[in-house]
Amino acid sequence: MLHSEVELETIVAVATPRGRGGVGVVRISGQHVTHIAASMVGKLPSARQATLATFKDQNNNTIDQGLVIYFPKPHSFTGEDVLELHAHGGPVVMQLLLDAMLIHPCVRQASAGEFSQRAFLNNKIDLLQAEAIADLIDSHSKTAARCAARSLQGEFSKKINTFIQQLIELRMFVESAIDFPDEDIEFIEQAKIKQKLLIILDEMKQILTNAEQGCLLRDGVSLVILGEPNVGKSSLLNALAEQDVAIVTGIAGTTRDVLQQKILLDDIPIHLIDTAGICQTRDVVEQAGIERAWQQVAQADLILHMRDATQLNENGIQAQLNKHSKEGQKIITVNNKIDLTNLTPQVINEKDTVTVNITVKNKQGLDLLKTLIKETIGFNETASTDYLARGRHVQALKQAKEYIQRGLSQLKNTKAVELLAEDLRLAQQVMSEITGEFTSDDLLGEIFSKFCVGK
Amino acid sequence: MKQPHTFDVIVVGGGHAGTEAALASARMQANTLLITHNINTLGEMSCNPAIGGIGKSHLVKEIDAMGGIMAQAADHAGIQYRVLNASKGPAVRATRAQADRVLYKNFIRYALENQPNLSLFQQGVDDLIIEGEQVAGVVTQIGLKFYARQVILTTGTFLGGKIHIGLDNYVAGRAGDPPAIKLAQCLRALPFRVDRLKTGTPPRIDGRTIDYTQLQVQPGDTPLPVMSFTGNVDQHPRQVNCHITHTNEATHEIIKQGLDASPMYTGVIEGVGPRYCPSIEDKVMRFSERTSHQIFLEPEGLNTHEVYPNGISTSLSYEVQYDFVHSIKGMEQCHILRPGYAIEYDYFDPRDLTATLETKFIKGLYFAGQINGTTGYEEAAAQGLIAGINAACVAAGKEIWCPRRDEAYIGVLIDDLITKGTTEPYRMFTSRAEYRLSLREDNADLRLSERGYELGCVSEAQWQLFASKRTAIEQETQRLRALWIQPGTPAAEELNHKLGHSITREYNGLDLLQRPEISYSQLVSLAYFASPQVAPQVAAQVEIQTKYAGYIARQKQEIAKAQQHEQTKIPAYFDYASISGLSAEITQKLTQIKPATVAQASRISGVTPAAISLLLIYLKKSQQETV
Repeated sequence: MLHSEVELETIVAVATPRGRGGVGVVRISGQHVTHIAASMVGKLPSARQATLATFKDQNNNTIDQGLVIYFPKPHSFTGEDVLELHAHGGPVVMQLLLDAMLIHPCVRQASAGEFSQRAFLNNKIDLLQAEAIADLIDSHSKTAARCAARSLQGEFSKKINTFIQQLIELRMFVESAIDFPDEDIEFIEQAKIKQKLLIILDEMKQILTNAEQGCLLRDGVSLVILGEPNVGKSSLLNALAEQDVAIVTGIAGTTRDVLQQKILLDDIPIHLIDTAGICQTRDVVEQAGIERAWQQVAQADLILHMRDATQLNENGIQAQLNKHSKEGQKIITVNNKIDLTNLTPQVINEKDTVTVNITVKNKQGLDLLKTLIKETIGFNETASTDYLARGRHVQALKQAKEYIQRGLSQLKNTKAVELLAEDLRLAQQVMSEITGEFTSDDLLGEIFSKFCVGK
Repeated sequence: MKQPHTFDVIVVGGGHAGTEAALASARMQANTLLITHNINTLGEMSCNPAIGGIGKSHLVKEIDAMGGIMAQAADHAGIQYRVLNASKGPAVRATRAQADRVLYKNFIRYALENQPNLSLFQQGVDDLIIEGEQVAGVVTQIGLKFYARQVILTTGTFLGGKIHIGLDNYVAGRAGDPPAIKLAQCLRALPFRVDRLKTGTPPRIDGRTIDYTQLQVQPGDTPLPVMSFTGNVDQHPRQVNCHITHTNEATHEIIKQGLDASPMYTGVIEGVGPRYCPSIEDKVMRFSERTSHQIFLEPEGLNTHEVYPNGISTSLSYEVQYDFVHSIKGMEQCHILRPGYAIEYDYFDPRDLTATLETKFIKGLYFAGQINGTTGYEEAAAQGLIAGINAACVAAGKEIWCPRRDEAYIGVLIDDLITKGTTEPYRMFTSRAEYRLSLREDNADLRLSERGYELGCVSEAQWQLFASKRTAIEQETQRLRALWIQPGTPAAEELNHKLGHSITREYNGLDLLQRPEISYSQLVSLAYFASPQVAPQVAAQVEIQTKYAGYIARQKQEIAKAQQHEQTKIPAYFDYASISGLSAEITQKLTQIKPATVAQASRISGVTPAAISLLLIYLKKSQQETV
């Protein structure tokens, strides 16, 4: 909560992505904006109107020509005075403009997300929206951008709010049963409470699925390719990345360090990690590489355990993998080089394992593998991905679901209505962390408006 | 010899707030004066003759744990006892005692008269003596001056009190008592924010004229509950029944026809009444789909025929009252002893108080009870206790004390008042307490007795009783924790038989007790766990603590989390206007309320998380600047 670095000075940053673009925007926010505007474009432009201007540095040399827009407070994105300079894109121009502003001692470069933070601190946006903006900025794909835009308009908030409304209604019944036992108001029957709880749970699960999809889209997953030397790990990396990222040779131990590549698999960002082959070795460099490979395994969401289909009889590294992998980590066994065997490309689901037969060389089974990866990380193509949720939201939803499930089990113990009430309170509390507070007085207000109490 | 005129603490008012305040202060060795307009009405129950109920019994037992009088008085005056929510869990159970007004009043008066360090004096108080920003005493209606550096005002409904019956109204503090008009004027001249509230009371009925044969009987509980931790059933007087009847459509029609003479519905009353204790006309109008409302006929005492019809508080005209009462089953022939009425009175915005109930403008001046916008004897008594304790602390130069929200319902009550204020008469409910599972009526003594003893408001005798109970609870818990039962042993066979399935690993007694299907009595009925002599309250405590253990542990975490902001203090003269980015509304609220901690600030309605992070930023900044 505490951001001691925020001094509420005037901050400036390039608002458009790095690199060469048609238009680049430099945005400045804070109490010294009018002063900066005067020095850079000669005079303060009219509020909220795009004005053609010449941008000059402190020595009155022209940097560029473009549009300038002035947003006086509080009607700006941050709630402070904001000035936007729309210049020709390109790193040099952007840097010159930045420098011209930073020459003023009252101005400093904004840190990441600081504009959003200002907006949040000035009540221009709520936490959800602030995060959605952050998501919008670094969205990895078009889909993610679309979802972030929707979330910004409050789709996610809306969904969560209807859910909270249902919780409140239920709490109203439970709390009035506790606080007004002597009143002849119709208390909801246990069966009905149970029914309502089940409906809420169902709804929760749906939101959770959607939110998890959103999370996948935003954060993606990390995928480690692991195996003995020369089973084709780097070839698989290149095949999945659809470019030659890794050096591939027939010599075992070509990859000695961890190699990383980001790819998109149906819009899901996947962080591919190729590792050194696991083997017994005295080579210190190789040993270090292997050590790093196991470190990557510990942090991975998904592990592709690659094997040479021609040498499946050997025990390999299965035992070591079992030791290093953690509960909940997903593992796909990939048998490569099936072109050298009589195996066919297919997915084999067994009790605790899933295996796919492929040959990277002939590109057979790769689509099977991709589909399997998507399935394994829980990407559901039919689920709607309207909500780009933060891990925090998913966490809150999961916790709320747990409380409600526990509350349901408390219902069996008829004496424990206060425990059900506690679980519902906790569920609502974690939900409120997403959208805002709800007090006990609000709850009493609901009760009084609905029931005639007061004997 | 002339009587002394100088005291450590002066308490103005002899109601439920005043008596607890005066007794607490005197117990803590402060030389205390209780001044009331009428000694005969000390401890008067002006409205419903009952103590306790949901949320309220929690307060009563906390007051009791701090050495207060209310629970003991209820034990000596209760003519019917019930445990509400008995079918639910212990955290929401609440004891309620129907009290004999006279017995109750007598017990309170006896306690006041026999309390060392406490003097009583009968005179109305007209004015305060104020020196600069410090209170220095009071002036009575005949001009007598009493001096003290700590003055507690517990004026109830008397400040500017006005009674309404139909469109008739007259000034009064309660039916039969004069109001405090001059004192109200004097207080209105001070910088406090003042407003009007309203409360009501039903017409009282002569019990001999009620036909009980048609009505449903509501007996008290057996075994008889006890209110005080030090009380016992032998203290209870003779027990009686209550009865239940209902309004009907004819009643509702009469009420609707009579609204043109209602001071509420014609706008004569400006004060706001409680939503949870509406008048019968409010119930009929607001819930027009209901064709019947329930009424409890509660006897007012053992030596009177007067009956309190709980549920039909009204300010309709006497004629309409007469007609609608006679339309109710069992009351067709009844005689009204006293008309029902509404009373409007002044209250002061409690956000002008600190957590000790001292006013922020005048040092040494405390407000407790209805003057702060609350309703109920228990809420008043709880505030009286805190004001009394702290006045005595300040008088003795000791550190002040107020329980936090996670320690007591009293803490919830006071924090709600001073942080959120109130626009209707404030009543306690269990749903107001976020730590409800930890704040139970059964463990009020465990939560507060030690503090009360340290402060000096719990007697040595009460302390000894409590200490031995606490030791017994610890011993029994230890005993059960140390007893392990192994599968395959004869003891396990007996247990398996009870459980209906076999245990497969070893368990200790507490593990087993944590299961919902095993009660304490079932557990100790097994030979292996057979207990030595354990008092029922001790057994109950061991059982409750064990059953709730998981939930309580979770709440403890929550409390610890909240503590961080609770410990971040805000200087009293912090300049909120210096925080750029705070909205004008929030700046105004914070400036007015002057929260003592960041936690309190966060509980003020309308204060956003963004405002709190700004506040934290500026607090940190100002700390760095001063270092």
